[in-house]
Amino acid sequence: MELLSELKLHHPISVEDAVSLHAAAPTGRYLAGGSDLLVNVRRGIEQPGSLVYLDNIAELQSITDAPDQITIGAGVTLRELANSALVHEHFAAVAQAAGEVAGPSHREYGTLGGNLCLDTRCVFYNQSEWWRAANNYCLKSRGDICHVAPGGKKCFAAFSGDVAPALLLFDAEVELAGPSGRRRMALAELYRNDGMDHLTLETGELLVAVHVAKPSVPVTSAYAKSRVRGSIDFPLAGVALRMAMRDGRIAELRVGLTGVSPLPFLAGKLDKFIGRAPDQACLEDLRDAIRSQAKAMKTTVTPPHYRRRVAGALTLKLAQSLAQDLVEASS
Amino acid sequence: MTKTIAKTVLSLNLNGVVRDDVIPDNLLLVDYLREKASLTGTKIGCDGGECGACTVLIDGRPRHACLTLAATCQDSEIETIDGLSRDSRLTALQRGFNEKLGAQCGFCTPGMIMASEALLRRIPNPSETDIRDALAANICRCTGYVKIIEAVQFAAQALTEGEPAA
Amino acid sequence: MNETSPAQSIGVPKPLVDGPEKTTGKAMFAADFQTAETLVGRILRSPVAHANIIAMDIAKAEALPGVHAVVTEADCSDSYGVLPIAMNEWALARGRVRYRGEPVAAVAAIDVATAQRALDLIEVTYEELPAYFTAEAARAEGAVLLHDDKPGNIERDAEFDLGDVDAELAAADLVREIDVNCAEVCQVQMEPHAAFAEYDGARERLTIRPSTQVPFYVHKMLARTMGMAEGHIRVIKPHIGGGFGSRTETLQSDLIAGLLARKARATVKVVLSREETFITHRGRPESRIKMKVGMKADGTITAVDFTVQQRGGAYSGYGIVTILYSGSMIYGLYNIVSARFQGVRVLTNTPPCGAFRGHGTVKTRFAFEGLIDDMARELGLDPFAVRRANLLVAPTMTENDLLVNSYGLDQCLDWVENASGWKSRKGKLAPNKGLGMACSHYISGASKPKHWTGEPHATIHLRVDWDASITLLTGAAEIGQGSSTVMAQCVAETLGVDMGRINVISSDSALTPKDNGSYSSRVTFMVGNASIDAAQNLKARLVEAAARKLEIPAADVECLGEVYRGGQQDQGLTFEEVVMEALSGEGTITVKGNYDTIPESWGGRKYRGAAIGGTMAFSYAAQVVEVTVDPHTAEITVDKVWVAHDCGKALNPLAVEGQVQGSVWMGMGQAMSEETAFHEGLPLAANMLDYRVPTIIESPPIEVGIIEAADPHGPFGAKEAGEGSLSGFLPALTNAVADAMGVRAAELPLTPDRLLELLEKKVREDAATSGRNRGAA
Repeated sequence: MELLSELKLHHPISVEDAVSLHAAAPTGRYLAGGSDLLVNVRRGIEQPGSLVYLDNIAELQSITDAPDQITIGAGVTLRELANSALVHEHFAAVAQAAGEVAGPSHREYGTLGGNLCLDTRCVFYNQSEWWRAANNYCLKSRGDICHVAPGGKKCFAAFSGDVAPALLLFDAEVELAGPSGRRRMALAELYRNDGMDHLTLETGELLVAVHVAKPSVPVTSAYAKSRVRGSIDFPLAGVALRMAMRDGRIAELRVGLTGVSPLPFLAGKLDKFIGRAPDQACLEDLRDAIRSQAKAMKTTVTPPHYRRRVAGALTLKLAQSLAQDLVEASS
Repeated sequence: MTKTIAKTVLSLNLNGVVRDDVIPDNLLLVDYLREKASLTGTKIGCDGGECGACTVLIDGRPRHACLTLAATCQDSEIETIDGLSRDSRLTALQRGFNEKLGAQCGFCTPGMIMASEALLRRIPNPSETDIRDALAANICRCTGYVKIIEAVQFAAQALTEGEPAA
Repeated sequence: MNETSPAQSIGVPKPLVDGPEKTTGKAMFAADFQTAETLVGRILRSPVAHANIIAMDIAKAEALPGVHAVVTEADCSDSYGVLPIAMNEWALARGRVRYRGEPVAAVAAIDVATAQRALDLIEVTYEELPAYFTAEAARAEGAVLLHDDKPGNIERDAEFDLGDVDAELAAADLVREIDVNCAEVCQVQMEPHAAFAEYDGARERLTIRPSTQVPFYVHKMLARTMGMAEGHIRVIKPHIGGGFGSRTETLQSDLIAGLLARKARATVKVVLSREETFITHRGRPESRIKMKVGMKADGTITAVDFTVQQRGGAYSGYGIVTILYSGSMIYGLYNIVSARFQGVRVLTNTPPCGAFRGHGTVKTRFAFEGLIDDMARELGLDPFAVRRANLLVAPTMTENDLLVNSYGLDQCLDWVENASGWKSRKGKLAPNKGLGMACSHYISGASKPKHWTGEPHATIHLRVDWDASITLLTGAAEIGQGSSTVMAQCVAETLGVDMGRINVISSDSALTPKDNGSYSSRVTFMVGNASIDAAQNLKARLVEAAARKLEIPAADVECLGEVYRGGQQDQGLTFEEVVMEALSGEGTITVKGNYDTIPESWGGRKYRGAAIGGTMAFSYAAQVVEVTVDPHTAEITVDKVWVAHDCGKALNPLAVEGQVQGSVWMGMGQAMSEETAFHEGLPLAANMLDYRVPTIIESPPIEVGIIEAADPHGPFGAKEAGEGSLSGFLPALTNAVADAMGVRAAELPLTPDRLLELLEKKVREDAATSGRNRGAA
C-alpha cells in the first residue's frame, strides 16, 4: 500500500466548474493523466489537499481543424497527438515529439497539457521524502541550498517536456482559463527561466488548449531526443528544428530546445545561417551555435558536458537530414 | 483516524464483474486491485511509472495502475492478468509466454502480457518493431526480451490462424 | 506394447513446470500474501553516512495508537552475515550507522499511515563521523575505521604469485598494460524485497515467506538474530521475482519482518520500496583494475600481473569471496601459468556490495579480454587466433589447482566465428560499424560450501504414494531460473516417466530437505546429480517390486518408464501396478538422493583463499558483438550478438537459451548504461529512471549456439548455463567499439558521454599527430 497524502478528488465536467472547484481549494492541483504529478505526490514532493480531475471535461479532449489553424485540447493524450495525421501534416515535429515522450503506456494517458506544464526536474529534487530530508532539501522545495550550484540562489532544475520546443517552432499560443476568465498568450510566455517557478500561470489557472496557426506553405520540421535508453527516459537534451530552403540555401531556420535549462526556448542568433548552403561547415557552425546556448547544469546523472554537446550534435543531424529531404523534394 | 478521509463510491467493471466499493480518494488503482479486490496478479516493481509491472487495461488501453487513482476509474472497464484466462484455459498470449519462455521469474509477466494483449487487439499481426514499440514501457530483467518477442509472435500466429483465443 | 519406450525429458525444450502460474497471475510472491489482520512493517533508515548513535527514543512511537511493535538492535540477539568468518552486520544498526539508508529501527502498525507516523516519532541522536565514499578516501592515512577490527578499512587483502611472472614478462615479445575502472552495478531484480512473517504466539513459532535465493541461510540467520531455536522457525520460499545474487545472503528486511512479527505477536508484512531495494544493494562493487600481460609474437600469453581494488561498502557480506574470485578466475579459461594478483577489498560508507551474477569474475575478465585484443592488433593477429593460441586441454589442473575436466571453448570459438561471418565481415563493415569478440567462463557451483558441516552438497527426496504420482522435494530455491523444471526433468528421464507424473515442492523447511540455495550456479550440477541419484534409488525399488510381481529376477526386469516387463513378449506391468506392488506391506515410499563434490575439485592450498574458484566443472562461452556508433552523439547501437555457451549438456535447451540470452543482456546493461551514483553517500540513482536497465528498444537479437562438451561428473554431462556468458559481453562490446571507432574504453559503463569524450580526445590527438607529421614533412 502506497502512502499518499490525504486528498479530495473532484470530477468536474466543464472548464468553468474545474476552475471554481480549484479556487475553492487553494492547496489543490489539477490532475490530468497523472504520470508526472502522481509520482511527485507519491514522493511527498507535492501534497495537494485536493485534485481536480480533468478527464471528464469534453472541451479538453479533442483536436479541432480550422482553415487557418488547429486547436489541440490540453487533455488530448500524447498517443493521440503522436498519431494525428493532421498534426503530422502541418507540424511534424510536434507529432514526433509527442511520440518520443516516456514510453508507450505513459503516452496512453499522459496529456499535452501535462507535458507542457511538466514540473522541472533535478536529480536532487526527484527523490523520496527520506532522501530529500537527508540532503537538507533544496531551493526548489523546502530548502535553502542548491546542490547543483551551491551558493547560488537560482534553481536550475531542467524543463524536460518534449512537446514544448516543437510547438515553439510554430509560434503556438496557449489558451488559459482562470478565476478571472480566459486569456491567450504565446506558448513562450508560459515559461520563465527559473526552475523553482517555471510556469507563468496565475494561481488556479488551467491550460485549456493550444492553438497553432497553419503555415501558409508546407513547412519541414522534426524532433530528436537524446537519452541513454531507447524509451522511458526524459530527454538529456531535446531538439526541435524547422527549416525551409530556397535555391539550395537555408531560407528559414528555427531550433527549439528542451532538457537543458529551466525552460524550453527557441535558440537565438540563427539569422547568420539564412542564405548559407547547408554544407558541412555550415552544419558544424550551427552545431556549435546551439551548443553554446544549451547551458545544461548538473541536474541529471549524465554529466552536463555531454548534454550541451549532444544538443549541438542532434541539431546538426536534424538539419542535415531535413536539408537532404528538402533538396530531394525540390529536385 | 480523527480526520474524515474523502471517500468515493467506486463502480466499475473489473474483469467482467461489476462491483461497487467505498474507497478513499487517495487510493491508487494498484492498491485497490491488490488489497481491496484481492487480485494480486498485478505487480508493483518500482516507486511510480518506471517499470510497467503494474500495467492493466482500462477501457482496453494499457495504463500504469501505480500512477492511477482508483477513484478516477468510475464506470471504467478494467482488465487485469487475473481475469485474462477464461475457464482456467490459458489464452494464446499466456501459452506463448509459457511455451516460448517469455516468463522466467514471472514478476514482469502480468504487465508484459497486458501490454501485449492491448497490442494484439489493436494489431493482430504485429511486426517485430510493433512488438518492441508496444512493450517499450515494460522492463524485464530475466529474458533480455528475446523470448518475450517470440512469445508475442507465437500468440499472434496462433490467433490469426484461427485458434480459439480461449 | 512393443512400441513402448521411456519418455524423453532431457535435451528436449520444456516450458517451466511453474509457467502457468506465472502467466495467469496466480503465482504468489512474498508481497502477495495478505490476511485480514496483517500489520504493515516499515523501516527507519539512517539519514547520515557515518555516525555513532548516541541515543534513540522509541517511546512516542510505541505509544501511538495502532502501533503494535517497534524494534531496534536491542531486540537482536546477535550479528549476522553470510560468511561465518565475517558476521559484522546487525539487522538494525547497533551503536553506529555506516551508510545512508542503514536500518536503525522498524515498526509494525495497523496501516501504512500509522507506520509512517510512528517512524517520524522515533528520535535518534547521531554523532557524525568522517565518511568515505571512495576506496581511496577510506584507505587514506588516518581515516577513521568503519570497523575496529579492520585496520586501514581493509576488509581483506588477497594475493598470489604463481609461476615466475617477472621472468615470463621479460621473455615476452610484447608487454602491455591497461588500467580500467568499472562502476558499481545493482541487480535490480523486478521484485522489490519483501517478507511475510507470521508469529504463532501460543506456540512461540515463526513462519516466514521471504523473497530470497537462500532460504536455508535466512533460516540460520533468523535463528541467530532472534535467539530462537532453529526448529521453531519455518521458512517457506514463495515465488521469487528474480535475484541475480541480490538475495544470496540474508537481508535486513527478512530479519526485521521476523523481529516485528515476534514482538507484535502477529502477522507482519515488510515490502521495500524500489529505493529501499537499491539501498539494500548487494550488487557488484566499483572496481579499479590494473593489469599487465606478456605475449609472444604468436599470441601465446606468458604472464599476467594484476591488481584489483574493490569498493565494498560498509559491511563484509561476501566481500572476501568476491575479491578472491576476482583473482583466482584469471585461471581456468586459458592456458595461463604465471600470474600475480594483488587484491584489496575496501570498506566504505556506501551500501554493502554482494554477489552479483558472474560473482567477482566480470571486471577482471573485462580488463583482460580488452587488453589482449589490443595486443593482438598490435601483433597483427586476429582476435580469434590469440584466443586459440592459449587454449587449455582437458582434463587438466590449472596452476592454482582448479580442476578442468571438460572444455568446449574451442567449439564455442568456432561457432561464433562462423555464425557471425567474422572471417568475411571483420574489417569490411561500413564506417562506424564494428565487430568485437571475447570469451568467458564460470563455475558450476563452489565445491567447498561456505558452511562446512560434513553434509552432502545436495539432497533430494522423492515420495511415491498410492496415486502413483511422484513428489519431488527439494530445498533448492526456484527463483525463476528454472531449477524445479531441471530437477523434474532429471527424475523423469532417469525413470523414463512422463514429467506430468512429477510435482515439485521447492523450499519449505517443514517439508523439503536442506539445500544451500540458488547461487554460484550450483543447482543444475549439484541438485541435478542428487535428483538422478534419488531417481535411481527409486527405480531400484520399483524394479524390485516389478520382479516380485512378475516372479522374475530383478536383473531381468526391463524398465520402459511407464511399463516394467520381463521381455518383449511380456505385456508387463503399468507404472501404477508396479507402485501398488512396491507399496504393498511397506506403505508410502520415500527415497533420497545425495550429491557430493570430489576433493580434487576443492581448489588448492598454494595461497590463502585458494579454495575460491574450486568447482566440479567450468562452463565456457565466446561471443561476437556487432555495433554501430553514431559519430555525432556517440550513441552505441548493438545490432546483434552471437554467443556460444558450453553447458556440457543442454538438459533443457529452451531454458539454456533463455539463461544465456539473459546473461548476455545483463552484461550489456552493465557495459552500456547501468551504474549507481552517490552524492555524499546518498544514492542518486535509486530508481528505475536514473538506474538504466535496458528497455526492449535497445536490446539486440541474441543468437545462441549451444555447445555440449560433456562433463564426466555433470548430470547427463551438464554444467552451468546461467552466468558464464555474462562477463564476455563487456569486453566484446568495447572491442567492437574499438573496431568501429579506434578508441579503447577503460571506464564502464560506456555511456554516450564517456564515449564522446574518447572520440573527441582521439580527434584532438589525430589532429596533433597529423600536425606533427606535416611539420616533419
